[in-house]
Amino acid sequence: MTSFVIVGAGLGVATAAGKLRDEGFDGDVVLIGAEPTPPYERPPLSKEYLRGESDHHLVRPPEWYEENRVDARFGVRAERVNLTDRVVELEGGERVAFDQVVIATGARNRRLEIPGVELPGVHDLRFAPDADAIREAARKGSKAVIVGMGFIGAEVAASLRQLGLDVTVVEFFGTPLERVLGPVLGGAIEALHRDHGVEMVFRDGAERFDGDGRFEALVTKEGRRIEGDFAVVGVGVEPVTDVAGDGVPVDNGIPVDAKLRTSADGVWAIGDVARHDHPVFGPIRVEHFDNAMKMGEHVATNLLGADAVFDDAHWFWSDQYDANMQMAGFATEWDDMVVRGSIEDRSFSAFLLKDGRLLSTFSMDRKFDVRRSMPLIASKGHPDRAQLADPEFDLRQLHPSKEESG
Amino acid sequence: MAEWTTVGSAGAVGSGELQSFGVQERQVAVANVDGDLHAFDDVCTHQQCSLAEGDLDGTIVECPCHGSQFDVTSGEAVQGPATDPVDVFEVREQDGELQVLLTEE
Repeated sequence: MTSFVIVGAGLGVATAAGKLRDEGFDGDVVLIGAEPTPPYERPPLSKEYLRGESDHHLVRPPEWYEENRVDARFGVRAERVNLTDRVVELEGGERVAFDQVVIATGARNRRLEIPGVELPGVHDLRFAPDADAIREAARKGSKAVIVGMGFIGAEVAASLRQLGLDVTVVEFFGTPLERVLGPVLGGAIEALHRDHGVEMVFRDGAERFDGDGRFEALVTKEGRRIEGDFAVVGVGVEPVTDVAGDGVPVDNGIPVDAKLRTSADGVWAIGDVARHDHPVFGPIRVEHFDNAMKMGEHVATNLLGADAVFDDAHWFWSDQYDANMQMAGFATEWDDMVVRGSIEDRSFSAFLLKDGRLLSTFSMDRKFDVRRSMPLIASKGHPDRAQLADPEFDLRQLHPSKEESG
Repeated sequence: MAEWTTVGSAGAVGSGELQSFGVQERQVAVANVDGDLHAFDDVCTHQQCSLAEGDLDGTIVECPCHGSQFDVTSGEAVQGPATDPVDVFEVREQDGELQVLLTEE
């Protein structure tokens, strides 16, 4: 009987397994995940879950796996994909044979290699127990210090402010999310947090964590000493590629072609760990919910022979306070930015263009534009600036299927 | 006892359109798919956003906040993050009025 093995325990693993059964695949499906729990959704961990407003949400109910004859081995670490014997080697020595294997091991938090990082009271956030620990620290404390103001740092800052704590953030760049969004859009997020009372220190970094037996203060590279009851570090992630390396190449993640295949026969990779050769953006590694979900479904149909290119234009959201932000596409540099709405009023969409081509759209509290712009991004469209800037113009009119030829 | 509630006039929701109406204590969205009306709970089961503020593509409505998709004919969640369905209700146009039937749970 054909056997598909999926290594990992995140969202993409659950959606891939589900899609295989939805598509009528009758063979063996084995999931091997290092986390002890079935796949759950991570976005709430920095938001509703951290604030104690919701429980964490399993992607599929625990009984689903057995009911669907999915051999789910959670809490078991896979050590290596062995291409010679075509087995996945598990810690403890067990070997699980596969016809095809999907690597979906995700990412782990980048760790600050500085003194004091091991002190109790210095947290990071990736798993539900991390969120539990931060929530408990927030319950006991009144002042938090956050290192890094990417999406995790910004969302945790917002949640902790919403819980009533004093929050100070230290960020290496000149605004929050500057590396992703540039200084203008980053400035809009800075203003949002300033209005909610977050103290922000930019162009500075963590030098060491001080404390007698537990965290008491962050000392920065510029010599500031910022005291707090606990600290949260959010300085990015790195792909978990430990199972690869033996015939499965590694290069900032696991490189896969447009169809999610690695260069090794019958070995695929999806989600945060996959460096995907995207037909629109080129090689890109994406660390967001929507991508993991869609790649999970996509790889399932490709395992069954669909042979299809993954060309999703990429989309994600971030909720901070009552602001809903969304972003689609991918841009590392752009030479033009068209704004629809008002950045000052924090209700806008920003279209990032290069040589007239739309690469990416970011919005704050304008719920339509980003998703409506995705077909345009996917088709490498060159939209009219005036139409982009016009709040009344419905971007769906520019969808490729609706464009006039010529 | 369930009763038909008038929420607007017949034709209030044009083909391909979505609109939200207050019905008793709830918000109900009405979608018009090529002339067929479908009514459903206007509260996304993921994070409570208004689905009527989203886009309708065929029978699929997409949540404007986080991208969940529901089939308006069944209420089923066809794409996450939402996994639970939305309630669906009967809807009709009668005597020049648009009416929704809220069924008691």
